[in-house]
Amino acid sequence: MAFATPSWFEALVDLINGSAAYREAAATWEGDIAFLIEAEPDRGVPLDVWGVLDLWHGECRGGGVADEDRGRRAAYLLRAPYSRWRQVVTGELDPIKAMMQGKLKVQGDLPTIVRQVRAANELVELTLLIPTEFADGA
Amino acid sequence: MRAAVFDRVGRVRVDELPDPTVEEPGDAVIRVTRSAICGSDLHFLHGKAPISSGEPMGHEAVGVVEATGPDVRRFGRGDRVVVAFDIVCGRCWFCTRGQTQLCEDFRNLGAGVFGGGLPGAQAERLRVPVADVNLLGIPDDVGDEAALFVGDVLSTGWYAASIARIAQGDTVAILGMGPVGYCAVQAALAMESAPGRVLALDREPARLALAAGAGAVPIDVTTSHPVTAVAEASGGRGADVVIEAVGSPDAFETASDVVRRGGTVVIVGMYAGETVQMQLGVWWARAIDLRFSGVCPVHTVWEAAMEALRAERVDPLPLISHRLPLADVARGYELFDRREATKVILLP
Repeated sequence: MAFATPSWFEALVDLINGSAAYREAAATWEGDIAFLIEAEPDRGVPLDVWGVLDLWHGECRGGGVADEDRGRRAAYLLRAPYSRWRQVVTGELDPIKAMMQGKLKVQGDLPTIVRQVRAANELVELTLLIPTEFADGA
Repeated sequence: MRAAVFDRVGRVRVDELPDPTVEEPGDAVIRVTRSAICGSDLHFLHGKAPISSGEPMGHEAVGVVEATGPDVRRFGRGDRVVVAFDIVCGRCWFCTRGQTQLCEDFRNLGAGVFGGGLPGAQAERLRVPVADVNLLGIPDDVGDEAALFVGDVLSTGWYAASIARIAQGDTVAILGMGPVGYCAVQAALAMESAPGRVLALDREPARLALAAGAGAVPIDVTTSHPVTAVAEASGGRGADVVIEAVGSPDAFETASDVVRRGGTVVIVGMYAGETVQMQLGVWWARAIDLRFSGVCPVHTVWEAAMEALRAERVDPLPLISHRLPLADVARGYELFDRREATKVILLP
């Protein structure tokens, strides 16, 4: 399944809502998160891709590929080049460390989001379960 | 004499103005042999900086001294000189400490009321106040067109590279291959503590080709993401030093994105009213050394820049894309504004 496509997000939403571990880890989380995957034409990603997950108390109330307007209205925005997101969803780059090091750029209250270490890790674990194909090769 | 003057937003014209004369004891009057259009002239052309119709334009010039006031000691009639784009007193607390860009009496040539009402350099003749401070002699083996760059963009690029504290083997990323960025590439490569590599980032193929010709590794940001490209060129860390030579919030953000933790960012691009959002905690945690160059204190670096030019360690001449008579200055501005020219030289 191609990374950051509607079907990829749909699979992620299903996995989130089926995960007891995520539900427990994110029990206090409130707020939708937008993901901006920045274009890298030389990696097969010619345009920016926006996605949104509406996360609330351990559940995902909806999500998918979004337009920029919807993405910018989210409580939090995480953005990085495509290659860096690939590192995150393949477990190569710790998302919380990446936020603290500026590798994932955060708009929204940074301390609030970085306190959610377990929830972030559970989300990454869930993305690892999706058989993901990448634009610049599997 | 003829001089380029501001006409209206988006337009300059050539007017006949009175010949300048020595007005103060420290003045020199020079006959301009070459002048040029600078990126910062476009701020006036676009109406971003205040200037009135009929006010002279330009601040880059070389020429020959024709007359001097009684206090001028270092120059005499017939001397070939380059003019500092910023005119300073040379005596105040800041000037005596080498921070001439912070001079208590700081003025700019050809910048209207913003620059203290001084005349412009895009003219046949020019009055230069405090000539002993604001002129530099041109060595016999340096041509006028090369020396012209010492009065502004070459010294500005040199200054940016010199305050970046480049260490041996560093990866240096320079954002924006306009004239200052190009000169910063050359300056970085000419530093005694030579960097391992200089990465040149821009979106214009012609500018990238110029930078590659000067020894930089070109990165076209329309096809490669700057973060990924710089990371791959630096072992995944990011650049040790970033020089931002654009002057836009996007470029500022890119500079912070491509520098490594503990690295140095030098902002030499010009800013006015722009604002940015910064995660201060991230900057703090990343221990980034952020340095705003401000206007270049050209007087403190231009001798080094001239010596580098004379020794052929730098060569700004490839930047010149057009040579036009002063009468065609309006066309020169149009070409430069449309980014169809990298540097326009004006021949009086």
